[in-house]
Amino acid sequence: MRLIGWLTGEEKIREFEAAALVHLDALFRSALRLTQNRAEAEDIVQDTWLRAFRSFHRFDPGTNCRAWLLTILRNAFVTRRRRATQEAVGESALPDDAWQSATDTDTLIRHPEDALLRSVVHGDVDRALRELPLAHREVVILADLEGLTYKEIAQVVACPIGTVMSRLSRGRAQLRRRLGHLAREPGYAKEPE
Amino acid sequence: MTCAEFQVQLHAYVDGELDPTAMTIAGAHLGGCSECHDLVARERGLRQVLRGQPREAASAEFRAELRARVRRAARVAAMRPWLIGAAAAAVALLAISLWPGLRPGPSLVAKLASKHSVYAEIEQPAEFRSDDPRAVELWFRERAGLRVTVSDYSPSGIRLLGGRVAEAGDRQAAYVLYEKGHTLMSVFTVPAAEAALTGARVSYRGHDYLTLQRKGYRTVAWTDGQAVFGLISMLSYEALLECADRLRLDRAARLGA
Repeated sequence: MRLIGWLTGEEKIREFEAAALVHLDALFRSALRLTQNRAEAEDIVQDTWLRAFRSFHRFDPGTNCRAWLLTILRNAFVTRRRRATQEAVGESALPDDAWQSATDTDTLIRHPEDALLRSVVHGDVDRALRELPLAHREVVILADLEGLTYKEIAQVVACPIGTVMSRLSRGRAQLRRRLGHLAREPGYAKEPE
Repeated sequence: MTCAEFQVQLHAYVDGELDPTAMTIAGAHLGGCSECHDLVARERGLRQVLRGQPREAASAEFRAELRARVRRAARVAAMRPWLIGAAAAAVALLAISLWPGLRPGPSLVAKLASKHSVYAEIEQPAEFRSDDPRAVELWFRERAGLRVTVSDYSPSGIRLLGGRVAEAGDRQAAYVLYEKGHTLMSVFTVPAAEAALTGARVSYRGHDYLTLQRKGYRTVAWTDGQAVFGLISMLSYEALLECADRLRLDRAARLGA
């Protein structure tokens, strides 16, 4: 038994870092994609990191550390957003449903030829993601950018797997519309739009 | 199966999240339906674009800052009488080691085998595709913190496809996927101190293995006290045992290094 380890601070830090450091980039990336803002992403990851460290004794070694950390991250993000919208002073944070009514839906496909030549670049995906409602954005980020399973996503966003699946299919459909034909298979891209 | 029925499951199919029976039924439908086949191709295309996005990393300064903050937080905590917390942690640890539900049960290998049968139905079963054993090992470490040894079986004509992380009970299982001709072989590693493995005991080059045959898939499994290992495929037992022995040697060499 390594009970002694629980008594010394340095040991506790070492155990925490051994389990969590490998997931730091995934946390950072997810925060970046959720917030689309580096400074805010770093703030959220920092909150997450300290919260995770404080509750590390509740983490069962050998279980899914990444999903556990992402759950904490998501809670930190949601709490901040809620606070930000309540304060609602000059924050760039729009209420979630504001994304839904995004008016520039079609900017990407206004010039189909240009878009076709450009193919999908980094900025397009970020822009398209930003326009998704938060509930859809987060499942797409977790599934398609970070490669989580449905079960892991359900744990992170605290909802049933069925809900994850329906949000994912709607989120991907919206994303595809936003990306216009850029995201399509080469076979599709050949079709005149 | 009708197109409408398939399309309800489209995403679960593409994500490899259907159970084996549903996977087989969906696969049969796809074989004869070009419309649904195209839908699958389109979803895969979108996923490919998303997965191909740049993978930003936290900066070295930010990383250092976080580590420093944790140390500061720990020092503050140490000034508080947190021995109470430590005692609770000790009880929790004890409870974990006594609670049988947290250990992979006897059906662990069967569960893993049924996942394998799902992967065998998917066109590209690997979540991370690479034929470089070191790259796959690195991916497992970064993706899930799993330390996996990936053997090179290419001299025996078994090609490395890549890796995939799956759930096995409450554990994460690393699947290393290989292919011989069109036959898929999975090599899984599940971190678990102990596991009740079932099957017929077979001895090969001085080591004991448990073998099991289910629905045409053969499995060869063993444990080394730190993890449970297993190979699943339609390949012969001889081939599987030879691969298992190779993996043991590679792993021993790696741990010894």
